[in-house]
Parts: sequence; structure tokens; C-alpha cells
Amino acid sequence: MEKIIEEGRIVSLERVLGQIYRLRLHCPKIARAARPGQFVMLRVREGTDPLLRRPFSFSRIYALKGELEILFRVVGRGTLLLSRLPADSTLSLVGPLGNGFTLPADKSAPLAFIAGGIGIAPLLELIAQVVGGRGQKGSGELHLFYGARSAVELLPEEEVTIAGLRSHFATDDGSFGYQGRITRMFEDVLAEGAFRPLQIYSCGPLAMQYNVAKWALANDMPAQLSLESLMACGIGACLGCALAAATPKEAGEERFVHVCEDGPIFSAGSIKWEKILAQQTAPPTWPFN
Amino acid sequence: MGKNPGTANGAPNLAVQLGPLRLKNPVMSASGTFGYGKEYSSFLDLRALGAVVVKGISLKPRAGNPPPRIVETAGGMMNAIGLENVGVEKFLEAKLPFLRELGVPVIVNIFGNTLEEYRELAARLSGAEGVCAIEINVSCPNVKEGGMVFGTDPKMTEAVVRAVRTVTTLPVITKLTPNVTSISELAKAAEGGGSDIISCINTLAAMAVDVFSRRPRLANVVGGLSGPAVKPVAIRCVYEVTRAVKCPVIGIGGIGSATDALEFLLAGASAVQVGTANFTNPAVMSDIIEGISRFLAVEAIEDINSFIGSLDTSCVFPFSEDSCALIKADMD
Ligand SMILES: Cc1cc2nc3c(=O)[nH]c(=O)nc-3n(C[C@H](O)[C@H](O)[C@H](O)COP(=O)(O)OP(=O)(O)OC[C@H]3O[C@@H](n4cnc5c(N)ncnc54)[C@H](O)[C@@H]3O)c2cc1C
Ligand SMILES: Cc1cc2nc3c(=O)[nH]c(=O)nc-3n(C[C@H](O)[C@H](O)[C@H](O)COP(=O)(O)O)c2cc1C
Ligand code: FES
Repeated sequence: MEKIIEEGRIVSLERVLGQIYRLRLHCPKIARAARPGQFVMLRVREGTDPLLRRPFSFSRIYALKGELEILFRVVGRGTLLLSRLPADSTLSLVGPLGNGFTLPADKSAPLAFIAGGIGIAPLLELIAQVVGGRGQKGSGELHLFYGARSAVELLPEEEVTIAGLRSHFATDDGSFGYQGRITRMFEDVLAEGAFRPLQIYSCGPLAMQYNVAKWALANDMPAQLSLESLMACGIGACLGCALAAATPKEAGEERFVHVCEDGPIFSAGSIKWEKILAQQTAPPTWPFN
Repeated sequence: MGKNPGTANGAPNLAVQLGPLRLKNPVMSASGTFGYGKEYSSFLDLRALGAVVVKGISLKPRAGNPPPRIVETAGGMMNAIGLENVGVEKFLEAKLPFLRELGVPVIVNIFGNTLEEYRELAARLSGAEGVCAIEINVSCPNVKEGGMVFGTDPKMTEAVVRAVRTVTTLPVITKLTPNVTSISELAKAAEGGGSDIISCINTLAAMAVDVFSRRPRLANVVGGLSGPAVKPVAIRCVYEVTRAVKCPVIGIGGIGSATDALEFLLAGASAVQVGTANFTNPAVMSDIIEGISRFLAVEAIEDINSFIGSLDTSCVFPFSEDSCALIKADMD
């Protein structure tokens, strides 16, 4: 698959709510090649601050218009600069990168989508493609479980609801929807017995992904999880984006997968979760400076 | 249009001769930042490069260090990849053919834990078609065994170079670490061991910590700093090394533009390698080659070799004595 370097023009950039922004870019070559779950390496600006590109997945792909949408949360210097860019400016993009989600062949398969926080981004395009691919009838078995810390970090209901999709919301503080972890809500709904997905798609913070993976493995259910890691190149050259992989070929031997090339979508069983939970990325320091 | 400087077709000559190694231009990738070449093939024409230096290769495959392996710093980045690589056999079988068939000169960066391993690696690569030189890495700060242990001791450096030298007729490049008191000493040792070319610098030993978790930002605790932040250190190293040894020098460290590359050439490097900048702009090396060519044309320099090492250190004041006198007269 061809990787492209392209100048993207900002069509629009708006704050959705809280620290969440929506960026729409005109970059026809990448938009035409992009698939849900893949990502781009975006150069926030020229020069050396920040030096490295930042990875972002596609929250929407408009192939015909040659446009891409990125939903991002301001967490540090790069995303802060990004949120302040004037419309009509251009950004360098490298993409589309990574493996992307695999859509189910069976167009009537019941599916669960689990999103935590900004992890909703790649699922929006995935859901749009799944729903679009099966027509509005017979797609009642698509369930989205979407949680965030509180209502101020949860996209408004109308932004995520789409005909043919049942949405369930949760917040840690109970300010909207179910109070508690989204994975708990998911387990509760499944325990009722009315809905049993054939496959889970999920994206969110590591702790959430760990719980999804644990559940999927215990219940023998296939899951496609979108994972993150710090990245320098995004194209398999620096080997910086390693995550500990499960099932080493020889017992005791360490093995790593690389998020940019082997992922960012991984099955629950391919990751050595204990190892990566121990090395969660540090919180940002910029609010203190 | 005025007179067109340069060769028959009007373009300046970019070809350089580094001892036994001839390159069509002085721009190569730096080991570990360009994968095995193929990773960049959709962004630039690899055949336009002076050479491709591939990721450091060891006898056996290596899994590398646990993550986090990278962290961004002001004007740079730190890495502690731990020399993850596919091993020499898989390299020859699965990675080299792509570059060989393209006709790109390949320089293989090698790394061992013992003298014997360096020797075996060099011997194994010697017969391989498509390999145009061996670069000995005695300067990786990220692995406990070998690596920098060899590269910080002149006697060890000389021994490693000699071990490689005796088993190969390929041009031998020795890549030096800046993490020493006198890089010239090591350059002399490498030359004494039979190295045809010296390349410098590898990354600077560095560290970053996080105030919340109170932990180092890299699982390996320390890592190697690269990128624009290290460029002045690298130019100083090149300047010192080119004055300490007779063999040609390849400059590495923080190069991201044509003028960055030209600064190294001016300081005495006969060629350069581009590392971290490939991450920021995967097509950067073709921009650099094109920019060098344009600079030479504008400056009416027909042959890049007349620019190399032409640094004027006799007077830090950028005017001739006459113009100094003129300015002085003007001010009086
Ligand atoms: C494949 C992939 C897809 C992504 N998609 C999206 C997306 O659609 N929307 C979105 O908002 N974010 C996404 N991210 C995360 C995004 O890349 C980071 O939030 C961003 O790089 C932070 O840059 P910064 O300069 O603002 O923060 P920095 O100042 O670099 O760091 C601030 C904080 O962000 C963390 N961070 C930095 N880089 C990453 C990273 N690559 N992954 C996770 N945390 C990081 C740091 O550890 C730190 O806590 C994605 C990451 C990956 C790997
Ligand atoms: C991610 C990464 C991996 C590297 N791997 C190697 C390696 O395998 N062997 C080696 O000799 N140097 C390695 N280096 C060092 C570079 O080749 C180069 O010497 C250094 O990064 C300085 O150049 P730069 O500032 O242009 O990046 C690596 C550097 C980086 C950033
Ligand atoms: S980010 Fe460089 S190899 Fe994945």
C-alpha cells in the first residue's frame, strides 16, 4: 500500500466542546486511499518546535470530496498549536498509515463498538462505513458504548447517533448516562442476554482497552483494539513504537510489535498487557508552565 | 543567462571520493533512521541518494529494549531502541535484495558484543553483492554489552577495527561516539586499526525524567540524543577529527537542510548522513541534494570537492583587512 506525503489545506477547524476540536483537511490523495482505523502523521508546523510529527486517526473520510476529518483532544504543545491554526493554512501529512480495522464480511453481523474519550474518533468513520454498507434495515444489532470522564468530555449525542445504531453512554461521574466505566456498562448490557456481538471494535485509554481485551479473551470473542504508542516516524523506520507482544516463539524470549506497522489495530490476544500497563505514558506537564 | 558553472550539462559536480568509496553525491541516510530503505521508497527515489546506510545489524536477531523507547526533547529526540534488528541472515535474504535490485549503494552498519562477532559479521557481509561498505558501530549508548564500551577506549576501538579490517576488502567506516573527552584520540585509533573512513557522531548520552511518576521517560533510563539540538556538537567533532586524521570523514548530527549539510562539508566532512530529519520529512534527503546543487550553482562552484574543508579559520571577522580599514575610516 502506497504511503503518501501531501500538503493538506485546513477547510475548517472548530472547537466541539471542552478540549476537543474537529479539524477538516483537504488532502485528496490521502483521503482517497484512507480506510477506517488507519492514521496520518501530521506536522503541526514547520521548524523544530515540536520536532516530530503527531499521529491522528481519521474520524471521517470523505473520499469523493478529497477531505479528511480529525477529532483531537488538546493534551500538550503539539495539539495546542494545532488547535490555534488559522483556517486556510496548510499542514504536511504522511499517510495513510497502519493496518486499519477489518470490516466483517457478514453484513448482518451484530457488532459492538466501545469508545473511551477521544477514542471515539476512529470509530465514527468505522460505524459510518458499517452502517452505510448494510442499509438502514437489519442493522439494529449495532451497539455503540461510549464513555468519558464526564459530560464535558463526551461528544453531544447527536454527533454520534446515526440511524441503525444503538448508543449507550456512560460517564465516570454520572453527569451523563450510566454512571461508571463504559466497560462495566458493556458487561451489564451483555449480561442481560439480548445482545451478543460477533465482534468488538474498541478505541480508548489503555486501562479501558485492557478491560475490553480481558473480557474478550475470557468470553472468547474476537476484538479489534486500536492501540497507541509514542511515535517518531510512523512508517516502520525508527522502531520506537514497540509494544510487548504476547506468545513469544521461544519461551522467555521477548518480542515486540510495532504500532505503526503491525497496528494500530491489534487483536486482544496479541499483546502482553501486563507489560504495557506498567509503562503508561505520563500526563502532560504544560498546565504548570 | 550568465555562464553556467559546473559540468557539461551545467549542473555542479556532486560526486565525492572517500578513500576507496566513490559516491555520486555526499548525502546518505544515517543508520537506524531509514529502516532498510524500503520504508522510504514511496517518498523519494532511493537511487538519487549517495548511499543508504541501513539499521545496525548483529549476528543474531535482537528484540531491542522495552518501551517507551523514544521521547521528544527541545529541538531533538532521545531514543533507546536497543539495536532491534532482524539479524544478518534475514538481512541478506529479505532486506538487501530490494536495495541491490534498485542499484542503490548499501552501507551496512554492524554491531557486535565481542571482537569475534564483529569479525564474523564483516566476513559474512564481505561476499554479499550490493554491499559497498561496512560501517562499524562502536558507539551505541543504549546497550549494556559492547557498543560504546568499544568506542570509548582507543585500544578497544583499534582492536575492533583491525578485526574487521583483516577479514574484508570492503571499505571500512568507523562510527564514533561523542561521549568521550577527546574524539580525536578515538579517530586516530580507528585510523590506526585500518579504518578507511571515520563517521561521527552517534547520539549523545542523555536522560529525561517525569515529575508525576518520578520515573525516567525511557524504560532504558538513559538514551541517545539526536536531531537539530546536537548539530553544533557534531560540527565541532567533525572539525576536530578532520584535523586529527588523514582519512575522510562523514559528518552526522542534526542535519535537516542543505545548508546544514554544507556546514559539515565546510568544516571538513567529505560526506554527510541524515538521521532524525527523515522522521520529520521523509523526503528530506532529496530536498537536501537538490539544495546543495542549487547552492553550488548560485555560488558558481563547479565541483563540490573545492568547497569541502574550505573553512577559513584565520580571521573570525568576516571582512578582509582592507574592508576592516575602510569601516574603521568610516567610523572615525
Ligand atoms: C495511531 C494513533 C492515533 C491517534 N489518534 C488520535 C486522534 O484521533 N485524536 C487524538 O486526539 N489523539 C490521537 N492520538 C494521540 C495523539 O497522537 C497525541 O495526543 C498527540 O501526539 C499529543 O501531542 P502533543 O504535542 O499535544 O502532546 P505532547 O506534549 O507530546 O504530550 C502530552 C501528552 O500526550 C501524550 N502523548 C504524546 N504522544 C502520544 C501518542 N502518540 N499517543 C498517546 N499519547 C501521547 C504524552 O505522553 C503526554 O502525556 C493518536 C495516537 C496514535 C498512536
Ligand atoms: C531511532 C534511532 C535509531 C538509531 N539507530 C542506530 C543504529 O542502529 N546504529 C547506529 O550506528 N546509529 C544509530 N542511530 C544514530 C544515528 O545514525 C545518528 O548517528 C544520530 O541520530 C545523529 O544524527 P541525527 O541528529 O541526524 O539523527 C540511531 C538514531 C536514532 C534517532
Ligand atoms: S513510529 Fe517509527 S517505527 Fe513505528
